Amino acid sequence: MATGVKKGAEDDSGEFADFMADISHEIAKRVESLNPTPKSMPAHRKETTPVPDPGVIREWDNVADRMIEEMG
Amino acid sequence: MSVVNYGTREITCKIVYYGPGRSGKTTNLQHVYSQLPEERKGKMVSLATETDRTLFFDFLPLDLGTISGFATRFQLYTVPGQVYYAATRKLVLQGVDGVVFVADSQSRQLAENIESLQDLHANLADEGLDPRTLPLVMQYNKRDLPAGEISTIQELDETLNFRAAPYFAANAINGGGVFETLRSIASMVLGRLSAPAPKGS
Repeated sequence: MATGVKKGAEDDSGEFADFMADISHEIAKRVESLNPTPKSMPAHRKETTPVPDPGVIREWDNVADRMIEEMG
Repeated sequence: MSVVNYGTREITCKIVYYGPGRSGKTTNLQHVYSQLPEERKGKMVSLATETDRTLFFDFLPLDLGTISGFATRFQLYTVPGQVYYAATRKLVLQGVDGVVFVADSQSRQLAENIESLQDLHANLADEGLDPRTLPLVMQYNKRDLPAGEISTIQELDETLNFRAAPYFAANAINGGGVFETLRSIASMVLGRLSAPAPKGS
């Protein structure tokens, strides 16, 4: 699976577009394979609240304070 | 933790660029940022010292828009490479989905690369993450330097890449290998997107 450099720095145009195309394809495959849509919908659906991802930093002020504290 | 959230129709993945000081982690993010179309350019947060060393970390939110009906976001982080910022590195690794290890190809930096890799493994273990299974891509940076100053790809791979992870040669300062590396780690992370856990598991 190891791969070397495929193209150099001179080919900058469309790098992001190429990346997006690949990623879109990958996501489409994954979403399709993981789609949990049931064959028949239950009669009553319970409302759920999305659980915040602990790895996503949302409160920057707090993070900065914590880091200053830890490094102090 | 990367998830496909069917409720909010969101996909969020966190990728951390790890490696010794001055290996080119921030340069990777700067190149990605420079290639973003204007309409997608958010804010790259970078906190550096007067000598351009990363002080806390860099953060680049990559909003890819709606793909297959899902709002897709990649969050790219770097860690400060200097040994005395251990607490920050641990903090940044929380909830990581994939790691790019940016190694400095210079022969004289080999010990620093090894030390940083060991530090990565220790911090992942502290976070309860298995370094053997977490998506990892190796990037051997600064390949544009004179051949006499840098280790060969084979030497670097034999020394650092005992997991046989995908690897890429790069000269991030000119953009070479940056997107290839990102594409590889993104693909690995997406390949592990979790299905909703079955009841009772």
